[in-house]
Amino acid sequence: MSDADHDPMLQRAIDELRQLPPLDRDAVRKVVGAAAAARLSPADEPVFVERAARGRSIRMWSAIGMAAAAAVVGFVVRGQWRTSDERTPVAASVAAAPAAPTATLQTAAPSELESKPILQQFVFDNARARRVSVVGDFNTWNPTSAVMRRSSNVGLWSVIIPISPGRHIYGFMVDDSVFTLDPRAPKVRDADLGTEGSVVIVGRP
Amino acid sequence: MTRASQPRLGLKTARRGINLTTSPLFLQRPALAAALDPTTISRAKLGDIDAFTAIVEAYHPRCMRFARAMLRNPDDAEDMVQETFVRLYRALPRYEERQRFESWLFQILGNCCRTANTASRRHDAHTVEDDDVLERVPSPDMPGTRFDDEWGDDVRRALAEVPDYNREIFLLHYIEGFAYDEIERMTGIKQSALKMRVKRASDMLRSRLAERYG
Repeated sequence: MSDADHDPMLQRAIDELRQLPPLDRDAVRKVVGAAAAARLSPADEPVFVERAARGRSIRMWSAIGMAAAAAVVGFVVRGQWRTSDERTPVAASVAAAPAAPTATLQTAAPSELESKPILQQFVFDNARARRVSVVGDFNTWNPTSAVMRRSSNVGLWSVIIPISPGRHIYGFMVDDSVFTLDPRAPKVRDADLGTEGSVVIVGRP
Repeated sequence: MTRASQPRLGLKTARRGINLTTSPLFLQRPALAAALDPTTISRAKLGDIDAFTAIVEAYHPRCMRFARAMLRNPDDAEDMVQETFVRLYRALPRYEERQRFESWLFQILGNCCRTANTASRRHDAHTVEDDDVLERVPSPDMPGTRFDDEWGDDVRRALAEVPDYNREIFLLHYIEGFAYDEIERMTGIKQSALKMRVKRASDMLRSRLAERYG
């Protein structure tokens, strides 16, 4: 038996405290926007990538790590590892890396891995737009390349696209006609177009 | 209590054998589980903004209720709830679905509120007397404050006097409806200690209210 069972006043107080505040949609929109902005750059967080063939997820960063390890093993096996290199001790630690990926990844050079596209999420807040797309130097400013999907409830648009690591200029094309900067990102004058664009840094600095 | 008046419990809760019937108060509370599609959390893990929005909409009012009651400065509730969901979204890829989502959310929210209260206490130590915190709770003496619900404000003022560590467990159990075994998993505090904290919070709340309404 709890305390409140015998105490109507306490029971009444608990009933009072259980009253829920009404749903504040503006607050929800702010929360979702802030959360999406905080996860804009996947550099600090692993991104889950759906593997279509098997229908399960893998950690992208784990895959990159394994690929790097496999590449090093590949160099060792092929006798291309220079013992005079200052990174020699690494060879011992990766000797136990899984053998399976080496068949396909042993020729992958570190520079290739560094340029591998990284999934990047873009979020845009506009409840009145009918169509929004991300345009930038990564998709040759093509408004049909990365069309965003609208959240049915709060007017947020989002899309996740793979982008090669580095610094990119972008913006949002609203209703195929109005170029709009991302209010959550820093802006810079784009040397190519002479106009301002938003900046995103993809990957680790 | 008739079967029809009992809250419907989720299948997962039933399978885990969580005893939600230890207190009759539990049976009187509104349904705990928010009406989320089972795939919503999985989709949110993959970065689906719609799914994450659905989660925020489902839990935002409850989080606000908890934060307002927990924080020394209730005006910070909205910021703390936002901070909680930001942390949650960043950590979603690491969420394991065998863990109960709701417990995980309130664990993060509890951490945020505790941190905010500690910071607020440090700040107040340098600026105002500790009792002044109570003055922030709405009262008829505060100009510009709506005072339609005297009982409700008295309850909140009395609850604000309960020490944080007892108040948190009281809120989790009686207001948010978590069973003691679940709170034990969330906080790492033994059930016997949890029950004692709830009892102390109840006693204090009762005695404060009795001073005025007894």
